[in-house]
Amino acid sequence: MTAELVSLTIDGHAVQVPPTTTAYDPQYKKNVEVPTTIYDAALELTRQKGITNPIPILCHREHVNPVAVCRVCVVEAGPPGVGRLTPACQRAVEPNMQVRTAETSPRVRDSIKVLTELLLADQPKSDGPRSGENPNELLQIAKRYGVTGSRFPAPARSRGRDESSLVIAVDHDACIMCDRCVRGCNDIRDNQVIGRAGKGYSAHIAFDLDQPMGDSSCVACGECMISCPTGALTFRSPVQAAPWKDANPPAETVTAEVLAKHPLFDGVATSFLQWNQGAVVRRRFRKDDIICKEGDFGSSAFYIETGTVDIFLKSPVKHVKSDKGSSGAVNHGLFGLIRKFTSKLESRGNDKRDEESTTRYIPIDAPVSLAYDNPIAQLHAGDIFGEMTCMSSYPRSATVRATGDVTVLEFQRNVLYILQRNKKSRALLDESYRARAVDTHLRGVRLFAELLKDEAMFKRFVDFLRPRVELQRLVPGHVVFRQDEPADHFYLVRLGFVKVAQRRPGGEHVITYIGPGGYFGEIGLLGNIPEIEALALPGIRTATCSALDHADVVRISGDDFAHVLQEFPPVRDHLVKVAIERIQENEAIRQRAQKEQLGEFLKQGLVSAQSLLVLDLERCTRCDECTKACADAHDGVTRLIREGLRFDKYLVASSCRSCLDPYCMVGCPVGSIRRRNSREIIIEDWCIGCGKCAENCPYGNINMHPFETGEKAAHPITGRMTPVVQQKATTCDLCQGLPDGQPSCVYACPHDAAFRMTGEELIKQVEGVKVGGSSSR
Amino acid sequence: MIVQELTHIQERCGYLPDNELNALSERLRVPLHRLHEVASFYPLYRRTPPPAVTVQVCRDMACHLRNADGLQRDLEALGVEIGGGRVEVKGVSCLGQCDRPVAVVVNDHVYRGLSDEELRDRVRKGAAGEPLPQQHADRAPLGWKIDPYNGEPRYDAVRRFVGDRNGDAILKALEISALRGMGGAGFPTFRKWSAVRGAPGDIKYVVCNADESEPGTFKDRELMRRAPHLVIEGMILAGLIVGAQKATLYIRHEFHEETEVLQEAIAHAEKMGVCGANVLGSGIAFPVDVFVSPGGYIQGEESALLEAMEDRRGEPRNKPPFPVFQGLFGKPTVINNVETLSWVPGIVLNGGAWYRDGGVNGATGMRFVSISGDVNRPGVYEVPFGQTVRDLVFNTAGGMRDGQKLKALAPSGPSGGFLPPLLRRENLPPKFVADKMGDAATLDLLDVPLDLNTMAAMGFMLGAACVVYGDRADLVDNAQNCAEFFRNESCGKCVPCRIGSQKLVDLMTELRRGEFRLDSERSRGLVPLVRELGETMTITSICGLGMVASNPVTALLKHFPEELDRHLPPHWRGNGAAKEHAR
Repeated sequence: MTAELVSLTIDGHAVQVPPTTTAYDPQYKKNVEVPTTIYDAALELTRQKGITNPIPILCHREHVNPVAVCRVCVVEAGPPGVGRLTPACQRAVEPNMQVRTAETSPRVRDSIKVLTELLLADQPKSDGPRSGENPNELLQIAKRYGVTGSRFPAPARSRGRDESSLVIAVDHDACIMCDRCVRGCNDIRDNQVIGRAGKGYSAHIAFDLDQPMGDSSCVACGECMISCPTGALTFRSPVQAAPWKDANPPAETVTAEVLAKHPLFDGVATSFLQWNQGAVVRRRFRKDDIICKEGDFGSSAFYIETGTVDIFLKSPVKHVKSDKGSSGAVNHGLFGLIRKFTSKLESRGNDKRDEESTTRYIPIDAPVSLAYDNPIAQLHAGDIFGEMTCMSSYPRSATVRATGDVTVLEFQRNVLYILQRNKKSRALLDESYRARAVDTHLRGVRLFAELLKDEAMFKRFVDFLRPRVELQRLVPGHVVFRQDEPADHFYLVRLGFVKVAQRRPGGEHVITYIGPGGYFGEIGLLGNIPEIEALALPGIRTATCSALDHADVVRISGDDFAHVLQEFPPVRDHLVKVAIERIQENEAIRQRAQKEQLGEFLKQGLVSAQSLLVLDLERCTRCDECTKACADAHDGVTRLIREGLRFDKYLVASSCRSCLDPYCMVGCPVGSIRRRNSREIIIEDWCIGCGKCAENCPYGNINMHPFETGEKAAHPITGRMTPVVQQKATTCDLCQGLPDGQPSCVYACPHDAAFRMTGEELIKQVEGVKVGGSSSR
Repeated sequence: MIVQELTHIQERCGYLPDNELNALSERLRVPLHRLHEVASFYPLYRRTPPPAVTVQVCRDMACHLRNADGLQRDLEALGVEIGGGRVEVKGVSCLGQCDRPVAVVVNDHVYRGLSDEELRDRVRKGAAGEPLPQQHADRAPLGWKIDPYNGEPRYDAVRRFVGDRNGDAILKALEISALRGMGGAGFPTFRKWSAVRGAPGDIKYVVCNADESEPGTFKDRELMRRAPHLVIEGMILAGLIVGAQKATLYIRHEFHEETEVLQEAIAHAEKMGVCGANVLGSGIAFPVDVFVSPGGYIQGEESALLEAMEDRRGEPRNKPPFPVFQGLFGKPTVINNVETLSWVPGIVLNGGAWYRDGGVNGATGMRFVSISGDVNRPGVYEVPFGQTVRDLVFNTAGGMRDGQKLKALAPSGPSGGFLPPLLRRENLPPKFVADKMGDAATLDLLDVPLDLNTMAAMGFMLGAACVVYGDRADLVDNAQNCAEFFRNESCGKCVPCRIGSQKLVDLMTELRRGEFRLDSERSRGLVPLVRELGETMTITSICGLGMVASNPVTALLKHFPEELDRHLPPHWRGNGAAKEHAR
């Protein structure tokens, strides 16, 4: 259809435009015909005459639909000097319209100046834009119309800043509510995160339900930042290339232009990549080069472009076993018997411990799990690894070695953050997970260990879940579900940690942290199983689960989960058994807590303690024999420290107290530390000796114990061949295995001041109740 | 459905919890930000759990004049005394109960005309979890001319139309009657209906604007409660004549009793067959329903009202296009005020001349006026257009309260600003002065006939609110009160209104703090600055709110320079100085 042109004049200049133009309708996602506006006509005139556009714009851009909220584009379209002005960006042209802009109408010019002053009054004091930022369009308009300051009073209060996103800072003081970021986010990108919240003078931009930007579903595409005319949304921190200064092989910076064409970065705004220049490097490794080592600290993640790498555990997959020394257990010493252990490393087959994991796969920070028996696997082009180290600064979980020529992209947190949030990159990574990693991930989940005994059944199981699993990336603090909410999904943890907490008298109590290879959300979905029915309300969450750090979880719907339970009885049996234990244990603690109400005592995790070392201070002479005895018994490394909380005349010495908040479990890169159902700590065989748990324990109750692996390597300084030492984490083992069944510390005390007792027994002692056999065990 | 769903959650939970919004987002497949945009915009919704008692004290015009501020402070003190965070006391915009100040909402109950002690009792009861007593209003008809049935819902006008299908005759009667919109803008009703009738399109709507929120205005409240069948009949007639598919009455949420009366009346009308699936056997389906507003003065702006009905933030649209062509869901829409529609049955049955000839002093037509403030008989009255201010204040409303002198009159709530008892010639338009004033230096406000044409010629607005201020009132304080009302109710969409309305309040605060200093350049510029700001807001704002928001302050500068004097430093006082600066 060819419509007749509309003729109008702008400041006396005649111009002809078609009555409609084509624009994109974001609601229906298609191009539609919209009325041609006065601003469009002014643009046409500008093009024809080669003059500056007489109409300024601030909330409008050519590529978005007009909202006409800032009003700086107002013009006179009626009789001169009277009546109201009309916004050029939105008002449709009409035949024979006579438009007067600021060039010819003093009223228009004055209005623009007052509007500019109003906006300037609320702007923060600025040092001008930083390099790489958009020029401030408001200041440009002020300059154009000779507005040097504002006569209006400045606001009494700041509207605040939001720096929760890793990449974008929000300065609400600089925001003029032009709606450009909102349209960028929703109309241009269809990300649907930013809205306008509140009303009137307190209206502001908001993310999702007015969450901090970093906690919202923002995908960090950068569109809002690019859209912002006043620097209210800015790039947070320029990247320093420093981490790769001495890298070997050297790090080659990859330019934004190259990255923009890389499939992994498809959909990430180029200007965003430009601001991140230097945060992505390419490194080329040769056969047998080590790309990263387990236990090392780092802050980057890797994406394999070409080649294949081996990923493996170098540390022996074994645990610390204390045995009677080979020289015969008991010697005579100053205080009678000196008791001695020999600590050595033992594996599952030779030394079976209570509740030891039966899993045959070890979860690591990569899209594979490693087999217990042979902890090595391969990663190929398109795989990403090291995400947990990169996002949450945990030690590297495995060693990676090139099997031939390998090129990788190594990038910093900013970039990984963007990738994880960019829809297309995420789809790429999720697809790679679904295609290959889902199999090994499920192998690494203890819950499914029994299934592995029948490979055919396991394959059927994986094939069932593969198309049904849903990957979710959680930001720290993200609540997956709350206690008492209806339960609808089951979750597996792939990377990072999830905190499980319950509301109890005295506040919220952490039940556990669930790391890689763990699962949660099952109890709420088991309520209609006869064994559970009596213990938990069907379909109701019994605890609140939230992400402790940047966690990746796999979500399985309640229906699919029910199907798994029905079709795969071993899963059901294991789950029911563990769930009953979990519920009963929690219930017992809850009841005890209710009964006793000893605030501080409870907080310190003592109520649930199974074996406290208690010193009677009226008898103790501080001779420290207990500590020495412990060290003597454990290859010179003490596992207890004579310090701690006092209750009445009793000192509770520092040794694992099975805290209510087991913070030690957070950050184990391979998930080798966990709780037994009795709530004490067990360290699984695949401890890589990184020391994270020892560092985390607030009471110093986890110690690193060095062992010689039998290998030798060149000393980094002297160059001499020296034995390779492998660290393993240990906690108090209650000297189990010694002949008389008494822990060395109690045994060694010359003053009968040391006792081992449970938390409950201690309470009764403090309350003056005689308890028979108080030095239990 | 977002608004209704949110209202439902709010009723069920007492607020809008995150988890409910998350679930709603999944269910409706609507992004979270869209829900929060709506939830955070409307005053009906809260995003945090409510305490045992929420108390909202009306802060505007007539209530302000009766020391609503003091009452709010007393109730806040009571809240502190009760303690435990059980009581929340806030100010609230005009509740439409100006005839019985001070209006106070306690939980869901709107109380008016209660003594302080009675209110304290309600708050204590609420805090103790006891049920609160309902305060009922009279529903009896009052023998108004507007009601040809005197309270009995007969729907004769609809019957007549279904009988003869003569829409042209009804439009002709409307044209003769010269009936104009009673919501404030005064657009001729016949033209609006004709435009929608002639607009292309199969789908059209009728919307009745019953979101009566202008401070000082409460006439629709009475009309809906005492004669609900009239507005319903008016909507049906509008719909049948323009060819609309349905009619919706958009009512403010604080009008609990009126909503109830209307819903009963609609159910009754459906039973009679005058609306619903088949209007009086004509084969035409024309349902009528009620949409309860989630709150806010701005919703009374017709395009903002449509936005709310379309589940968005109630922000006015840029116009043109006008709702008669692109209204609800982009379709041609008749939007009329309650009173406008209520006059239609009488005009249909009695003829256009009947209404037209109801005016006096050369004016045409009749109207309902709400009068409040310092008069003896505040209330709603059916009066002729053209009635003089003297007649309205001293006869209809029973004269000035406590024998005070008339100090100012707000003929259109806060929107038109205050008028002084003696209007100075230099403050009136030259044409009006030449036509009507001869040599007189001043014009007595009491002689002015209240009629749209006369008021427009004088450069004033005429609304349905008439708020009267006696000589004890501090007009600077009351002008600031009006400026605060607009600041509080600005939707925040466009810059001039969002920021301008706040800066006006800031400037008034500065003025009242006595921060004007003769030697300061800034102070010298203050009065011109207010005038510049007012002009910019008037000509650049999107809607009527921004257009009029500066009127209370600019009218004060113009008509009451002596009031301003008291806030100026001594050197500036006296007739000349302030006037000079006001210019």
